[in-house]
Amino acid sequence: MPAHRGGDVVNRPALDIKAAWMSRELKHDRQLYRAQFSPDGRLVAAAGQDRLVHLWNLASEEPAPKSFDAHRTWISSLVFHPTEKLLFTADHHGIIYCWDYDTEMPGQPRWSIPEADRNNVRALLVTHDGQHLVSAGDDAIVKVWSTVDGRPVTQLKGHKDCVFSLAVSPDGNHLVSGDLLGSIRQWNIADSWKPARELDARLLHTRGDDFLADVGGVRSLAFRADGQVLAAGGMKEAKSNAFCPGKPTVLAFDWATGVVKNELRIMGKSDGPFNALRFLEDGTLVGHTEILHSNSELTFWQIDQVAPLHSLVSPPAYDLSLHPDGRQLLAACYVSGGSSGNGAQKRFKDNYVPNKSTLRIFSLFAKPTTEEKKTG
Amino acid sequence: MSSPCQPHEHALSRRRMLGMLGGTAGFGSLLQPAIAREVVKQNKQVCLIWLDGGMSQYESWHPLPESQFAGPFRSIKTSIPGVHFSELMPHSAKIAHKISVIRSMSTKDPNHSTGVPRMQRGDPVNRGVDYPYLGSAVAKLLGPANPELPPYIWIKPGNGGFIHREAGFLGAQYGALALGDGQAPIHIHRPDAISAQHDEARHALRKKANERFKAYRGAAEIDAYETSYEMAQQLMARKDIFDDGKLNPRDRERYGTHPLGRHILRARGLLEAGVRFVKVNSYHWDTHGDNFNMSQRLVPQIDRPFAALVNDLDESGMLENVLVVVMSEFGRTPVINSRLGRDHWPDCWSLALAGCGIKRGAMVGATSKDGAWVEGTGYDVGDLFHTIFTVLGIHPRRTNYRHQGQKLAIAHDECRPIEEVML
Repeated sequence: MPAHRGGDVVNRPALDIKAAWMSRELKHDRQLYRAQFSPDGRLVAAAGQDRLVHLWNLASEEPAPKSFDAHRTWISSLVFHPTEKLLFTADHHGIIYCWDYDTEMPGQPRWSIPEADRNNVRALLVTHDGQHLVSAGDDAIVKVWSTVDGRPVTQLKGHKDCVFSLAVSPDGNHLVSGDLLGSIRQWNIADSWKPARELDARLLHTRGDDFLADVGGVRSLAFRADGQVLAAGGMKEAKSNAFCPGKPTVLAFDWATGVVKNELRIMGKSDGPFNALRFLEDGTLVGHTEILHSNSELTFWQIDQVAPLHSLVSPPAYDLSLHPDGRQLLAACYVSGGSSGNGAQKRFKDNYVPNKSTLRIFSLFAKPTTEEKKTG
Repeated sequence: MSSPCQPHEHALSRRRMLGMLGGTAGFGSLLQPAIAREVVKQNKQVCLIWLDGGMSQYESWHPLPESQFAGPFRSIKTSIPGVHFSELMPHSAKIAHKISVIRSMSTKDPNHSTGVPRMQRGDPVNRGVDYPYLGSAVAKLLGPANPELPPYIWIKPGNGGFIHREAGFLGAQYGALALGDGQAPIHIHRPDAISAQHDEARHALRKKANERFKAYRGAAEIDAYETSYEMAQQLMARKDIFDDGKLNPRDRERYGTHPLGRHILRARGLLEAGVRFVKVNSYHWDTHGDNFNMSQRLVPQIDRPFAALVNDLDESGMLENVLVVVMSEFGRTPVINSRLGRDHWPDCWSLALAGCGIKRGAMVGATSKDGAWVEGTGYDVGDLFHTIFTVLGIHPRRTNYRHQGQKLAIAHDECRPIEEVML
């Protein structure tokens, strides 16, 4: 009989996607764009517009986050070290900070990389062995750093426009990076990070004849645990570079051949990209999209089927994290502050506030009955 | 037919003007003061750069990095101490001392479909008539700066043509000659198989047919056709304006090879040739979705050619007489929506002006700390129209249109020029 204790699900229940339910919410008064469970599953780190790195202790009934303060602009990426108590965060000004997060009081960063990118560091990743921090962003160069001190290790060049997403293969041997133009590049970690091949995800990029800019890109990447499938998320067929509405799409690549096996869609309405994808232990893929001024959905697929296995209505979300117990998903979701829409004409003047966030934790098993909760 | 209360009987022909100027180092000391003023007035020109959909003030002229509504971009120093623009406008930041920025525009319409015409007509008091867009109004009130060229040319993406609707009640002849993608109207070149004499005969026949048709039916469309033919004839004589081979490759680089860069460079050529009013449109600035990724790509597309144009006009001396305006129908919301976009915000937004009696380096308008609201005086588009007409030498209160016997103000009766940006 499952119960939540300090973020862990004890008495690990069977995975049951169709019975998934929202088990907890952490609310925040500003928009958060990144959220991750810590490797021990007891903490949630999240960040976004307010420039602070927030850390919630899930063991607390009324969790008030402790906040780390160094960034001077929106935080665009964060990732935990898999074994050390280190958290890496990056921002739109190209700065990376390394934090000792297991402290009573938030202190100064352990180290920083002041010019990790020309502008926005859009993705961070730590290799499985914990030795390397990988960053990518606007300058189209994938950069490898030491997690010990932020020392540069190497730079991976080949992308022709900004890089949105990174993933490492389950065996730890290959890094993939996805860019605005729909190019996914494979780098051989085991062979000095040499370039290996390019996968074609151009479907996720649109540049209409009358567009002023490229739209879309490979916004998310995820490997299935068996290493045989790489999923690339984004949207296709953007209609303009203004609203940027498109069709949320996931391309499921056969990793051995580099060929797209399937193009996955969503059930309900949504017009934004998949910014995050996660594979569950049974091979189910889960993704979340954005939409303008409406609800979006959390979607589950078996990747050999185009139509989703299941979906849950949820506010637009920008990030997903899978708890180490494999039974909980964390989504960084949007919440309206009540001041949205065109033109205020002073109707909001006394109470015009930014939009907010909720970090939603979805339990991926049947909701326990009242009796089960008591005995759990 | 309508006519302004101050008709152009006294207007100077280009030849007469050039004749008067011939052999002089400058006209200030040699011409009668009244005539000199007239010459200056005749030389006034306008370049309106219209960013359709609405550029975000936070990602351009008014970044406010400490605002709770700020985007992620840096603010950078400009050439005016203490004044900052978004890092997406590095070139404009360098010429801030040559331009004015109004950061307290407060207009009324949050919709595109009604907001665009309302803004380009100056949102006058509703008197039951279709007011002209600014370009048509200036074409009417000042006439052609160079009688050999159309007074109002509109450079836009997509197709061109003669857009008579912009003239409103003024009549089709004050409409805009639109150049699709900034290119010369198609069929501008007379085919070799048709001699000049035959061509003249064809035009005479067409005119005769039009006059006969007009005698029995509504005249607006015929006027439009007639005007478009005349403009085409004018441009056929000035094919050199469209000869891209004459462009300096360095200029192409300075303005940018994207459509807006090419179109503003074309606008410079048209202004140099003597077109009175050039409008340059760029579409798809309505960034409800992915505003920050899009602004990162779009704002530099206006920053670079705008700064290049102002610099070029300044260096050639033309900035004294050419008014450059960069604006949209509104700004964008402080609040960031669920698609990381900004919606429409007429309540407090920014635009830029340069040249022709506009102060250099004036940053006008106070806002709340977060940039959401105007504090103190906000300016409506009627105020902007009073300002534009005034610096063009058209008195906005003493000058009126007359339409079907009705006297019509050229700008909103209750508005006034924005003194803070005027010399």
